[in-house]
Amino acid sequence: MIYLDYAATTPLDERVFDAMLPYLKPDGFHGNPASTHGPGFKARAAVEKARAQVAGLIGADAAEIVWTSGATESNNLAIKGALEFRGFPKNAKAAHIVTSRIEHKCVLDTCRHLETLGARVTYLKPDALGRVTPEAVMAAITPDTVLVSLMWVNNEIGAVNDIERLAPRLRERGVMLHVDAAQAAGKLAIDLKAVPIDLLSLSAHKLYGPKGVGALFVRRKPRARLAPQMHGGGHEQGMRSGTLATHQVVGMGAACALAMQQFDADVAHWRGLRDALWAGLRDIPGVLRNGPDGGDGEHRVAPHVLNLSFPGVEGEALRASLPAIAVSSGSACSSATAEPSYVLRALGRDDELANASLRFSVGRATTLAQIEQVAKTVIAQVAWLRELSPLPVPAVTR
Amino acid sequence: MPIYFDHNATTPLDPRVLDAMLPYLSGPYGNASSVHRYGRAARDAIEAARVQVAALAGAEASEVTFTSGATESNNLALKGLADGVPRAADAARILYGGTEHPAVLEAAEALRGQGWPVETIAVDRSGVIDWPAFEAQLAGGPVRLAALMLANNETGVIHDTARAAALVHARGGLLHVDAVQAAGKLAFDFGSSGADLMSLSAHKLYGPKGVGALLVKSHVGLATQLHGGGQERGLRGGTENLAAIVGFGAACALAAAEVEGRMARWTELKARLEAGLRRLPGITIFGDGVARLANTVQFGVEGWEGEALLMALDRKGIAVSSGSACASGTGEPSHVLLAMGWPRDIAFSAIRVSLGLASTEAEIDRFLIVLGELKMQVAA
Amino acid sequence: MTARDSDLDNPYGYAPEIWRLFRTAPNAGAFPPGTDGVVAAEAGTPAARSVLRLELRVDAGMVADARFRAYGCPASIAVGAYIAGWVRGRSMAELSTLKAGDLREALEIPEDRAHCALLGEDALRAVLARYSREST
Repeated sequence: MIYLDYAATTPLDERVFDAMLPYLKPDGFHGNPASTHGPGFKARAAVEKARAQVAGLIGADAAEIVWTSGATESNNLAIKGALEFRGFPKNAKAAHIVTSRIEHKCVLDTCRHLETLGARVTYLKPDALGRVTPEAVMAAITPDTVLVSLMWVNNEIGAVNDIERLAPRLRERGVMLHVDAAQAAGKLAIDLKAVPIDLLSLSAHKLYGPKGVGALFVRRKPRARLAPQMHGGGHEQGMRSGTLATHQVVGMGAACALAMQQFDADVAHWRGLRDALWAGLRDIPGVLRNGPDGGDGEHRVAPHVLNLSFPGVEGEALRASLPAIAVSSGSACSSATAEPSYVLRALGRDDELANASLRFSVGRATTLAQIEQVAKTVIAQVAWLRELSPLPVPAVTR
Repeated sequence: MPIYFDHNATTPLDPRVLDAMLPYLSGPYGNASSVHRYGRAARDAIEAARVQVAALAGAEASEVTFTSGATESNNLALKGLADGVPRAADAARILYGGTEHPAVLEAAEALRGQGWPVETIAVDRSGVIDWPAFEAQLAGGPVRLAALMLANNETGVIHDTARAAALVHARGGLLHVDAVQAAGKLAFDFGSSGADLMSLSAHKLYGPKGVGALLVKSHVGLATQLHGGGQERGLRGGTENLAAIVGFGAACALAAAEVEGRMARWTELKARLEAGLRRLPGITIFGDGVARLANTVQFGVEGWEGEALLMALDRKGIAVSSGSACASGTGEPSHVLLAMGWPRDIAFSAIRVSLGLASTEAEIDRFLIVLGELKMQVAA
Repeated sequence: MTARDSDLDNPYGYAPEIWRLFRTAPNAGAFPPGTDGVVAAEAGTPAARSVLRLELRVDAGMVADARFRAYGCPASIAVGAYIAGWVRGRSMAELSTLKAGDLREALEIPEDRAHCALLGEDALRAVLARYSREST
């Protein structure tokens, strides 16, 4: 099995595991970080060190990091918390959110839920390469707009939104900006000292940390204000209650420290492999690359993702023809269903083509030999399925 | 050797639980929602854990929803039943026990902020529900939900939730039971308990931190509180915390197999501790004479403030609590003891000893000696 | 067509017979142009993501040989392969006895893929219609 689904989840880095292990053993590090005795203080110290490590990766202060159970909770907390703090849903008419059609499911589901409570939501259509431009966002802002929620890197196609240019413009207008950076952290350089984002979601298991832990950056100056979504005990400055899972937050801290330390090497490794895979597959007749094709500026793309559509083959048969390659047909959360990716549909791909798409995402353990093997297998299986098909291979122009 | 007497705050991970978790922590398992092979193995592991958790609680596997912990479970139970802004006409009351954990108490108070009618359920000086008052309260109007813990985290006092369930159901309401402290320390059966919802936590029963469950009977309609992804049958979004869920399952399986032995052992240790405490002057054991958890003793120490005593004991290498870990350090006396009607000065003097799997007679004896010495210092 | 490896892992958990027929696709392909006695027909649409084409070589009312081509999920490809094997040696009159229910049973096609079995029944019906048109 060759694993090329690192955008869905990454294996735990051994060094991260080593950092976590002491907190899973009954040797005095098992205390509740909220307890005011020796074992509690030890756990608390580990939690605070990890907080600083997470902050370090994104250019934030440790006090701006709130632990959560993952990016889904971070996104829920950011969006619902921002609205509720302004009196929503009691004061429903004053709440407008701007987001896009290709956000992660949890952002879309949260927005839809808020709509049922009376919020107004604008779902911006991305351009053909999957980007939402600052101009499109600014054009959607109304006097009632409370929040813009936009992902930095799209999880399916790797398209990068120009958050650096958007954030100052929203700040000028006094509109809060929430950025889902689950796919961006460790892949793009993030410096929140330079980019005025108010709220930013992170996930550990997308960057070689453990599952079940994430964080929300909540800016202190100017202060981003949120209503808590999980009550009880007043942990995390009252913003998120619940006993902290010491080993998990320690793991997220270690993962962020590692991501920072080997950022340049990671990115170069991923980009090299991703480009090699595209070089191997681009000669399949009719194959289409979804999203930007790399390079800087307008065509920025995350270094680890390659999303391709294969006209003339049926998607499920294609995936089943690659049993030894773990890839995704969309975001992990929706791939159990047979529905074509809503992200590719929003980019203008029809149902059939959206369904016949694969997302390859490379990681630290991926090798060039694996990439060559995958390219060979995909070429052969696409050819086999096309030969089996009674339909002509559609002539698609790039 | 340091002594850890704060197992109600959190327990160390059982080494057997860690062994069960390791393949899922460092192994090559993928996101449990991905379709490929690793994902299938992960889903199988989650379902096996669901069966283990259900078995401990006497529930069906289909009634188990995994969460990030008991705080989330309690929030989901209360807010999931009282979703959004109530329409004044049909807003039935939400009742919660005066000694509930802050996760229940504060979730209920948040609902009050949204306009829901919220009331507390009175307890007596022992921490037991004041039944005549509760019955009168129930008769006073419609009830949406009553929330009562099975065993109190501070005093260990056990509530008769079956009796409460019958009364609440008779008024058309639902009963949520926070069983976080009871699980693994007390045998109970969700199926026949009358409870409609029940919260569980892994790290209170030698499982990992960061995972819990909400048990929900099939007739209960609950609104999702964490949107996105559709995991846990749409009730709770977010990538499953695989290793922790596996650990939770393993911890529940061990607890189910060992609960009687654990209880017998703790009962002996607690008797030794309480006998020792009774020999010291100026000790008030809370919930004395009523059914309590076998591992928990909360008591007031005349002449001491609980926080100061906690720190003095900590300097001697003994970890206890002055109340729930969440609320400690706030400078407020235990809300549990205040709800039981104890005066502030006595509530201020409380500490809690909660025993665990590794607790010994020798630790109890040493604790009693140190406590006696500290008491004498104050007296002198 | 060249057969594929059949003993690869079945990570998506398809029924064993669906998986075997999908992986190996026996009788896949088409008869050379101009082959005598070939009756061919198609069912399904690309928009529904399943198309099955059957080619039967008929000799004196009996199916001498058969080929299929399919575009669709593994179950629909397996249905094509199964039918192409089943029809061989049978009389044309017999073909209408193979129903979607039989296909579902033979291949253990789950409820949510019942349309794949219907695709097979439709393709057989289309071939028979073509045959009766061509022989009158």
